[in-house]
Amino acid sequence: MSISALWAAYGSEYLQALLTTWKLTFFSFGMAFVLGILITVARVSPIIPLRRFGDFYVQIFRNIPGAALLILLVYAFPKLKLLFPYATCVLIATTLIPSAFCSEYLMSGMNMIEKGQIEAARALGMSFLQMIRRIIIPQALRYSVLPMTNLLVATMLTTALGSTVPMVPRELTGLVSHINTHATGGVTAFVISAAFYCATAVLIGFVGSRIDRKVRILR
Amino acid sequence: MSAQTPVIEMRHVEKYYGDLHVLKDINLSVTKGEVVVIIGPSGSGKSTLCRTINRLETIGSGEILIDGEKIPEEGKKLAQLRSQIGMVFQSFNLFPHRTILDNVTLAPVDVLKRNKKEAQQEALELLKRVGVGDQANKVPAQLSGGQQQRAAIARALAMHPKAMLFDEPTSALDPEMIGEVLNVMTELAAEGMTMLVVTHEMNFARRVASRVIFMEDGAILEEGAPEEFFEHPKTQRAQAFLQSIREH
Amino acid sequence: MSKNNTSIRDFLYEEPGPKTRTWIRIGTGIALVLLAWLIYAVIDRFNVTGQFREKYWIFFTRWTTWRFLGEGLLTTLRVAVTAGAITFALGFLLMRARLNRHTVIWRISAGIISFTRGVPTLLFVYFFFLVFPKTGIKLTGFWKITLPVAISACGVVAEALRSGVNAVPKGQREAALSLGMTERRSFYRVIFPQAFRFVIPTLIAEMVIVLKDTTFAYIVSCADLMQNAKVLISNYDALVSIYLVVAVIYILINYGLNKLSDSLARRGGTMESRRAKA
Repeated sequence: MSISALWAAYGSEYLQALLTTWKLTFFSFGMAFVLGILITVARVSPIIPLRRFGDFYVQIFRNIPGAALLILLVYAFPKLKLLFPYATCVLIATTLIPSAFCSEYLMSGMNMIEKGQIEAARALGMSFLQMIRRIIIPQALRYSVLPMTNLLVATMLTTALGSTVPMVPRELTGLVSHINTHATGGVTAFVISAAFYCATAVLIGFVGSRIDRKVRILR
Repeated sequence: MSAQTPVIEMRHVEKYYGDLHVLKDINLSVTKGEVVVIIGPSGSGKSTLCRTINRLETIGSGEILIDGEKIPEEGKKLAQLRSQIGMVFQSFNLFPHRTILDNVTLAPVDVLKRNKKEAQQEALELLKRVGVGDQANKVPAQLSGGQQQRAAIARALAMHPKAMLFDEPTSALDPEMIGEVLNVMTELAAEGMTMLVVTHEMNFARRVASRVIFMEDGAILEEGAPEEFFEHPKTQRAQAFLQSIREH
Repeated sequence: MSKNNTSIRDFLYEEPGPKTRTWIRIGTGIALVLLAWLIYAVIDRFNVTGQFREKYWIFFTRWTTWRFLGEGLLTTLRVAVTAGAITFALGFLLMRARLNRHTVIWRISAGIISFTRGVPTLLFVYFFFLVFPKTGIKLTGFWKITLPVAISACGVVAEALRSGVNAVPKGQREAALSLGMTERRSFYRVIFPQAFRFVIPTLIAEMVIVLKDTTFAYIVSCADLMQNAKVLISNYDALVSIYLVVAVIYILINYGLNKLSDSLARRGGTMESRRAKA
């Protein structure tokens, strides 16, 4: 099938799917970011059980394959009387996994801060919270702009998990497999989705490196 | 506060790192306007001593008094005390994500709740005074080491401290930049600032110190006026130390 | 990862005073209660839904269960290792092309790299599953999962290798050339071996992504760990326990790989700093 014929038949569905991928990506990333911050707070807190819990959480969700997590959510959870719609399951999976990576990136961003920074803040009479707000968070965030950019792209790639369950509306990957099982979209069907993904990834990368160049800490 | 109350006083201070006895029965007082210089071989505990005064390091036993009051262990009171004692670090420790001007105004505005405009005005004056007035809008990495350290001194001065601690302020500097930092410190001393300086700069100690303290292995071995100490060191250890320095 | 040389955890807090110590103790108490409650809630959930019943777990005491899962795992590992080897070869070629002086060549390579990095593995999997058969080329399930996983990872590997090559000091190339080596020879004998050592940790971490991607094998009916788990589930009608065990297996393997990558990175790092000092 030619691109124009395919677009004539499925154009609006592609746009709908692109929108779904975008929504899923940004929504997941937003929640993953908040969750990642909370987990990071737990991991650097002075309360040992919270640290251990945070570490455990990160190890689980950065190491579990997305497909395995989604299968647990979709098939195992109902057996535990926890039934979520497909879209919710996908959203949970595409949030939990990036949240673990988000916490890892924030931790390594914080680890790039020199010890002397903290001592200087203390010596100037800053309270713990002032130090966190003025010194730790701004520096850690600046150090993690590029990792977070990559994480946003990775989150987008993870949303393709939505294609493995009958989620409505379909996202870009799900739409391609739908078209190809019902019609003969052939290579073209893939090319359109791939182009959308790539364009999004390139755009994210561009914006990310612009932000990084702006806020990067000279050393 | 009577005229005799020392600004900084340490009484029988002991500190261990595990088995290592890093501070041994330290007794020391610095009165208003005094410039006390601590010298000694590296690893003698002089930096540690300096850092216990604003509790960047805790002590095992003994007590440390500022203006006759024991330093608080935590919380607002500790922060308040620290805000009154300026500290200059070996590695400058300017905040790399803020401009030089922001570095100087951050604590006055955040900690002392000063008006931002006024704080900026004063910061600019301080920066001019230490000779980096034209660098105010750059970030630390754009400055030389000597300029950074002078900006760090301005940052500490902006808090109107009643005493300043200098923890090897020139040790991380290239030789040609040491002078400019020492000059700023000399001026400060001349203006009557109370200072405790840990350094390897013997000429500075000789010229500026009101009193020199010699430390080795965590203990104060000798204490006296600079001429006295440099010309006629009493202990053999101090003689050996001065000898080893002269040889270089 | 979080414990490189010193962690922020070690110096974010100062020596606590008595009040702070009390607060920490109270916080620790509350946290312990909450975590205990969480664990209880999970166990209770399994209990009330009958998931602890013997029939869901008894077959794990049988040798055959583990052998069957082991066979699946072996396939998973075969897919992962093969895909890893292919992706390394592809990544190497892309890296060489990316560093080529000819604008056309490096542009094409850069295009392929960003394409594979920007497209989800699943899209490649569906491509090999749905489109490839129509071209008449017959692929087994093994290759239908191995190839897309390899292709999907090669861009990242190429970039990792490239950053490794860029991390080798320029003087190395000049030294090699001044010894009379050709460009090609200096690359293979001097530059790449050093670059490769830099990026071993990254490559191992990349294997985690490859291994995770192999879980899509069930889509192309390749009898990997996940697929064999499905067979077991229909045999024993024990979905929760089996998927849980399989998930734990994946997590443990990936955890091990990440730990290996971290420890190599740390050792490499100290080696570097030692060399820099010397």
